[in-house]
Amino acid sequence: MGFFRKKGSSAKDEPKATASPPATSSPATDSGPAGTEERIREALKAVQDPDLHKDIVTLGFVKAIEVLDKEARVVIELTTPACPVKDQLKAQAEQVIMAVAGIEKATVTMTAQTVAAARGGKEDATKEALAGVRNIIAVASGKGGVGKSTTTVNLAFALARQGARVGLMDADIYGPSIPLMTGVGKPTEVDGKMVIPPQVDGIKIISVAMFMEEGKASILRGPMTAQIIQQFLTQIKWGDLDYLLIDYPPGTGDIQLTLSQMCPVSGAVIVTTPQEVSLIDVRKAVNMFGTMKVPVLGVIENMSYFICDGCEKKHHIFREGGGRRVAAENGLPVLGEIPLEPAIAKAGDEGHVIGGESVGTGVHTAWTEAAGKVASQVSILNMNEAGAADFSLEWKD
Amino acid sequence: MAEHIGVKDIAQLDSRTLGVRWSDGRESRYDVVDLRRRCPCAECVEEWTRKPLLNPEDVPETVRPQRIQSVGRYALQIQFSDGHSTGIYTYEMLRELG
Repeated sequence: MGFFRKKGSSAKDEPKATASPPATSSPATDSGPAGTEERIREALKAVQDPDLHKDIVTLGFVKAIEVLDKEARVVIELTTPACPVKDQLKAQAEQVIMAVAGIEKATVTMTAQTVAAARGGKEDATKEALAGVRNIIAVASGKGGVGKSTTTVNLAFALARQGARVGLMDADIYGPSIPLMTGVGKPTEVDGKMVIPPQVDGIKIISVAMFMEEGKASILRGPMTAQIIQQFLTQIKWGDLDYLLIDYPPGTGDIQLTLSQMCPVSGAVIVTTPQEVSLIDVRKAVNMFGTMKVPVLGVIENMSYFICDGCEKKHHIFREGGGRRVAAENGLPVLGEIPLEPAIAKAGDEGHVIGGESVGTGVHTAWTEAAGKVASQVSILNMNEAGAADFSLEWKD
Repeated sequence: MAEHIGVKDIAQLDSRTLGVRWSDGRESRYDVVDLRRRCPCAECVEEWTRKPLLNPEDVPETVRPQRIQSVGRYALQIQFSDGHSTGIYTYEMLRELG
């Protein structure tokens, strides 16, 4: 870049020029190379970006203009390297530069903005992909091993049994287990750039595991995980859904923040077990969602109790009422207390969900009730909508 | 459920004023140049000490947003004409300012 920097106009100064409306820009002078550069800048205002409906100078795309004898060298920076009109803009730029008096050769270099700066555009893709999704529910936990994936799957199936259109996104990049638990296959169909999610009992399912080699540990660095999540949010054809449940990775780290930043989560369900150590992590999760202004719908306490087949009595193996206590502490409703039930673990391991065969059992009822409470909390939330999600504003000069 | 105050609507009020209508009915006005000077990103404010790293005088009066957009349900991200776009303006921060 340094090579292209002309005197009196460092790269830092460049964008300032774009802030001023075209009318106030300095008139072209006829003498000296500086005047020629100014005339080239003026000439480049004739080049319009067809998508943004503004000229490339006003948009701040022209990053450097340098004149060497009769040759003009110009650097144009676009918002994305995959800009469909790149060649068109380049040709137009060359054409107008050549028309400037004293210029016999035009060298136009096209570059692109960095990922961070271009993020605005990508979020539009998220909006598009999730346009048909009415409610996005995050299922999260402060720590692993509390049965978060089990909860996500059972909530999804319980909601679907009640007639809702449901999608399930397994974003647990560290240990995606939804395919094993539901027996779902890999996606086989695509529609253009969009992947069509495979279904189990009408539930659309996408998992990180579908895109990894089986049996291999997922060693993923931060930027890679963000990229995967991005693709999940932009390249999956979810279609019309009442609920999209996202199985969050356990914990309260970077990836959970990324998820909540990139998609407009309607509300979060927090899963815990009754022990105090687990509850400490619940507070962390509640705080994280608080910071992100994602409403927490409530707490589901998993492995609450065990009913032995001999006495029908509820045995609170861990402690009693931990989930209720932590919910009360944070002013949150308890959405469910799910019994410890060997059938859940067995079904999950065998790749099916507790379903018809267990109707009437404690655990089946518990999930159905929990799903009902989640649904009603979402409706309450929608009734007193705390504000808009997903909006943008183009500033006009 | 904990009360969250969100944004109902944002609008450009004049060439340098951003208006925000909150879910509780409050309306706030922000000078966009002032917002750029208060950018909370790690380049502009030291992350640990919260010491300002950006000299307000380095921000020209002519700086304007190009695009403002929501981040999740908790913040606005502003892409400024000087190429700066890393600041995440949380609703909490904006409520304090306006």
